[in-house]
Amino acid sequence: MNKIGEHIRQRAAELLESREIDAFIGFRQGSLPMTTQHYVARSAAEAQNLVWNSFCVLNPTNILPSLLKSFEPPRRPGDPLPDDLPKVGIAVTGCWSRNLAIQFQENQASRKRVIAIGLPCTGMSDRRQILAQTGEMVTEVSETAEDLYFTGGTVASLKRTEILRPNCASCVHPQPVARIMTEVIEGDCINNDAAGRFAEVEEIEAKDSDGRWDWFSSEFSACIRCYSCRNACPLCYCPTCFVDDAKPQWVGKGLNSSDTSIFHILRAYHCAGRCTDCGSCEAACPMGLRLRLLTKKLDKDVVDMFDSEAGVEPFKPLPLSTYSQADPQPFIVQPSHSKGEDS
Amino acid sequence: MTDINTEWQPKIITFLCTWCSYAGADLAGVSRYQYPPNIRVIKVPCSGRMSPNLILNALKGGADGVLVSGCHPGDCHYISGNYFARRRFGLLGNLLEFIGLEKDRVQFTWVSAAEGEQFADVISQVTESVRKLGPATRLVKNIPAEINVERACANE
Amino acid sequence: MKGSVLIIGGSIAGVQAALDLADSGFYVHLVEMTSGIGGAMSQLDKTFPTNDCSACILSPKLVECGRHLNINLLTLSELEEINGEPGNFKVKVRQHPRYVDPTKCISCGECAAKCPKKVDDLFNLDMNKRKAIYLKYPQTVPLKYAIDPQHCIWLNKPGKCGACAKVCPADAINFDDTESIHELEVGAVLMSPGFRPYNPEKLDFTGYGRLKNVVTSMEFERLLSPSGPCTGHMERPSDGKEPTRVAWLQCVGSRDENRSCNSYCSSVCCMYAIKQAVIAKEHAASDLAASIYYMDMRTHGKGFEAYFERAKDQGVQFRRSRVHSITPLAEDNLQVQYADEEGTLQRDEVDLVVLSVGMEMTTKSQELAHLLDVELNENNFIKTDPFNPVATSRPGIFVCGAVSEPKDIPQSVVEASAAALEIEKMLSDSRWQETQEAQFPAERNVFAEAPKIGVFVCSCGINIAGVVDVKDVTEYSAQLPDVVFSQNNLFSCSQDTIDQMAKTIQEQGLNRVVVASCTPRTHESLFQETLRDAGLNKYLFEMANIRDQDSWVHQNDPEAATLKAKDLVRMAVARVRGANALPYNQVAVTKAALVIGGGMAGMTSALALANQGFPVTLVEKADKLGGNANRLFHTWQGIEVRQQLEKTISKVFYHDNIELKLGTTVEKATGSVGKFTTTLSDGAKLEHGTTLMAVGGKPLIPTGDHQYLYGSNKQVKTLLEVDEMLLTDINMGSIKQAVFIHCVGSRIPEQPYCSRVCCTHAIEQAVHLKKLNPEMDIFMLYRDIRTYGQREAVYKEARSLGILFIRYDLDNLPQVNEEDGQLQVLVQDHVLLRQVKFNPDLLVLATAVVAHPETKDLAKVYKCPINQEGFLLEAHMKLRPVDFATDGVYLAGLCHYPKPLEESIAQAQAAASRASLILARDMVPAESITAEVDPRKCVGCGMCTKLCPYNATTLDLDTMVASVETSLCKGCGACVAGCRSDAIILKNIANEHLMAAVDAALMEM
Repeated sequence: MNKIGEHIRQRAAELLESREIDAFIGFRQGSLPMTTQHYVARSAAEAQNLVWNSFCVLNPTNILPSLLKSFEPPRRPGDPLPDDLPKVGIAVTGCWSRNLAIQFQENQASRKRVIAIGLPCTGMSDRRQILAQTGEMVTEVSETAEDLYFTGGTVASLKRTEILRPNCASCVHPQPVARIMTEVIEGDCINNDAAGRFAEVEEIEAKDSDGRWDWFSSEFSACIRCYSCRNACPLCYCPTCFVDDAKPQWVGKGLNSSDTSIFHILRAYHCAGRCTDCGSCEAACPMGLRLRLLTKKLDKDVVDMFDSEAGVEPFKPLPLSTYSQADPQPFIVQPSHSKGEDS
Repeated sequence: MTDINTEWQPKIITFLCTWCSYAGADLAGVSRYQYPPNIRVIKVPCSGRMSPNLILNALKGGADGVLVSGCHPGDCHYISGNYFARRRFGLLGNLLEFIGLEKDRVQFTWVSAAEGEQFADVISQVTESVRKLGPATRLVKNIPAEINVERACANE
Repeated sequence: MKGSVLIIGGSIAGVQAALDLADSGFYVHLVEMTSGIGGAMSQLDKTFPTNDCSACILSPKLVECGRHLNINLLTLSELEEINGEPGNFKVKVRQHPRYVDPTKCISCGECAAKCPKKVDDLFNLDMNKRKAIYLKYPQTVPLKYAIDPQHCIWLNKPGKCGACAKVCPADAINFDDTESIHELEVGAVLMSPGFRPYNPEKLDFTGYGRLKNVVTSMEFERLLSPSGPCTGHMERPSDGKEPTRVAWLQCVGSRDENRSCNSYCSSVCCMYAIKQAVIAKEHAASDLAASIYYMDMRTHGKGFEAYFERAKDQGVQFRRSRVHSITPLAEDNLQVQYADEEGTLQRDEVDLVVLSVGMEMTTKSQELAHLLDVELNENNFIKTDPFNPVATSRPGIFVCGAVSEPKDIPQSVVEASAAALEIEKMLSDSRWQETQEAQFPAERNVFAEAPKIGVFVCSCGINIAGVVDVKDVTEYSAQLPDVVFSQNNLFSCSQDTIDQMAKTIQEQGLNRVVVASCTPRTHESLFQETLRDAGLNKYLFEMANIRDQDSWVHQNDPEAATLKAKDLVRMAVARVRGANALPYNQVAVTKAALVIGGGMAGMTSALALANQGFPVTLVEKADKLGGNANRLFHTWQGIEVRQQLEKTISKVFYHDNIELKLGTTVEKATGSVGKFTTTLSDGAKLEHGTTLMAVGGKPLIPTGDHQYLYGSNKQVKTLLEVDEMLLTDINMGSIKQAVFIHCVGSRIPEQPYCSRVCCTHAIEQAVHLKKLNPEMDIFMLYRDIRTYGQREAVYKEARSLGILFIRYDLDNLPQVNEEDGQLQVLVQDHVLLRQVKFNPDLLVLATAVVAHPETKDLAKVYKCPINQEGFLLEAHMKLRPVDFATDGVYLAGLCHYPKPLEESIAQAQAAASRASLILARDMVPAESITAEVDPRKCVGCGMCTKLCPYNATTLDLDTMVASVETSLCKGCGACVAGCRSDAIILKNIANEHLMAAVDAALMEM
């Protein structure tokens, strides 16, 4: 981890120094232990503030579109965009690199303007799980390849594998998407068994309808409609989100459980075929909702039905923007005689 | 069973594409195929017009069932609308089932302009399956007072 | 010169021609013998190769035809007499009485329900019963009942029955109806009477007529059809059981001069048999065993070979055989006795036998030909000219469809448009002279007004009122918010009610209207016209379907039906409340055409348009005109190509309206129908209203396993090379032995389609060589002989001249070697079961026709699709064979698919006809219900551009905002549903409108 952090700082400084880029997106230490914040370094000196540790949980591509846009000069309608706009550097792990692929496809970031440095990823740690074991009093953390060490907690150390975030523990594409990376830092990556990648979803699927509804309604009843999940998501860039729209008003603005449920269903659906399971939404949620279960369910279905995984093949059309004549349709209601009942 | 359950009639919001399914529904009428009176048809140009939002909105509004019907794959008047729709429906249907909405609340089918009898048959099937579920409560914003939310009591 | 046209026969070809002519400025009298149009296509279940539902794709065309202001539909009518000359014919048409007043009939079916007289239903080929008063079929046009005078009790014994008149709620029955004679003056006559399926009763070996479970293919279509006698359940006639083993016998009444007297091939039966087998397997509850007994499998059309291969994968059995007889077995089952390819007698037991019957000229059509004084050919079809395939022997009389040769639907539709074009050319001076245009008053601007909604509730006699309490519904409607007027009418569509409705709209100051009655599919445009008559925009209207989707389907539950009717009215009111007046979009037309490609197809199109007075730019990438036709020797009929070609080239060269640009290609294009701008390689910028692509194809250069020493041995030639030798008078008569190999590069995994032309071309060439030197030994190595239609005559002649045919298959390709400088060909003979060796001095390869690789780039320029094989992909394989989904762009010739010269010419004429629909007008209408982007909400993700099948949405990468080109948008709403930001709306079908309807439906009453 330290080696990677050093590498990021060095490359960011070089790129900024040489003016190849005007800004570099990464992380800096947060105000509390085990937290980080997005950080935009704009000079070689600022690049030294960049950190890399297992608490870099907020997807940095989330701020890429707006940062790129901030470099665009004011224009009158109809004026073309200048050709030589400043570039931005960003360091991305597997899931973030796939978000980059989606943003390229959806024109939210221009490939010409992004210097993407691919990072190896051994998975990020789940702060909530750690605090549950160490207590709230941790003042400092240090980490090695296998373990995390705590100062001030009730536990001195924990194995990294035991406190992985669930999305990292089920990640099967930790390698950055090479075809859209400018450069790649080599290193070890987490190696999960693909067979269990959807275990969290399958656990819910195994319940009956009542059981699933009990889970859903209790899980989401805690939602306070703060929209942190949406704001942390690198896929959410509509100027007006459906949840804020007044014409038509899809969702009521209060804490009604039906409105809240529909917000979450629709938010997840909007991520269908695009979500890379980066876990930002859960990391951002102040109430600890397991928001990912909805998007992960959609991921599973997209893989099963359309043989597609968000961003893995960066130039393949997104699953809801294309179709195959042979797409499965077991859900289609058939007239009763064609089911062969009379035979 | 209370009285409400024996008298209760489900209301099923039914979106039909103009070119095939709406015509198929008309043919059912022309041929006098009888089916239960529980569907409320809303004509849309194409099943590809159906935003998932609209389906969720109907559920929120208290529809006991939602049915969407388009042209058979390959027959779309607009070339490819139903293929895109099929992808959307597949994902949305599964997601709704996943969060515990009863499986038969939201259904999808294809009916061609020549399938009058099939239309009547599908409507009968859909109506009966929705009737079995009882009045909708999940995702409904304002549940009418007379509907006894059995499950809420059963949990206690 | 007259500006009107007589079309005889309401087949799909007749209907298409009528629409083309009426839309391009000519008044059409469409004469149909039966009570409704639609022809044989209306009887089909599905159509190959797309498995489209036949009724679904046909019905909109029929409705359009029935409603067209400039088409006079004369049903139950026949031509009686014709006099005069081209441009000025005088004709008499006899119209038989319908005994039902079509202006009154509401097609409710009460009459047929009460009629006591049961009659065989001809539409279902007598497999079930209809009544003496009947509707030809549920989607027929006009959708009006008719009385069969042969069977009606009253008409035969007046005073005896009259049940229909008693129950008719509209008072439409008129037993005193008489026949009428229409004397018409027309500029041209078009014959499109279609064909008759061969009647196999004469062929005793089939058992047809004796054995109940032997049916014809047309009967089987009806058995499969959901609107057929067993509502699509597929029951066999003897006992209603679902068959599990079905046999199809090919060439029944085709390719069989001895038994059926028809020596020609009917061209469509192989494909429809495969289609029926595939569909039957889909229909069957259990696994259905489908076997097709055939001589040659003829799947020579676009997408056909792939369909054939798919059918094999799906388990359809293909048996190359000669069927000896069909004999009865126990339990009504049947035995097919046949000789397989080796000549061994085999027996299969099946439950049902389908006879793939061919197409024949009807006696009526022969009489018609006689009356019109046009010549027939040796097969009794109308005689035509390969260089003008829709012209008959008599000037001014044209022909299209299966009456001139057996052909499939797309070819018939192509000919229909081609015939329309020939007529347009002839009568172009009288364009718009006899047509009418609907006139409406200026529209009131209601934008600032609060909604004032009027609701008209129809009783439809007792059709609605018999079940739904219409009074209650009318009273209920009056209480709905914003409803200021409500009224109940007995028949909302009767002329007096319509007039009164227009008056009410004006008197009450209504600005939105709801009609609760039947279905918008048949009546919306009528009521919308009423709004326009009353000065309201026609989009301020909604219908509530309380008949077809309410009273008719809940006959036993009046209470629920009334409740539902109220809901439907409330929903319609909610939806219309938010409706906006929409513009009647139009696009101004630049009256000029661009034709790309100077081959026979391109030149034909260019001339056809130029002769109508439209300026044409003809762009050809080579430095001379003529394309592949320069290398062709003969048509299959043995007519020299060169002479005709030179004539055409000189016409193009000297035509005042054609600007010829040789050595030029298209670089880029912008715009859409009516106003394209195209930049050419010479820098010229063209403004044009339509674009025709006729960029041709080219012969494959054989390689790999299929090279057969081509290029290394000088005695190995392609068909076109031999044609060129014949053209340059090289002495070919000295050749002692010639071998032809068919399917070189066709029907192989790398190139899976059939090239359609090569069998006929090769055999015609072989016949020519044989005639040059009767001593010459000629061997044809083939896979299936595909001399479809009347081309079968060439095959027959070849065999009679002693040319030998040896079949090979893909697992056993012919081997070609050189031994001591001598060419050697080895092939496995399937009949003799041994290897045969030849030492020919000429080996001719019938090579595939392939698309030019550049076609793809051109397709991109005009946003048109291509298929996997690189050919341009038309808008619809059956009914829009020369159009693209993008309006204003058309295609013709080899760039569409391999085809012979006469078909290229017909297609070029058809493309020109479709283009003249645009060019004949100053403005072309465009869809009003279109999508629109709200730039404030658009994030520029580009999703909409990927969902639009018409390329109407584009994304500006500079502003990152999408926009919709209104003239391209068809209003399907795929983009709306795909837009996560809700940035695209569909006018009047926006989410708000649909939500309003949903909310109204769910409102507690």
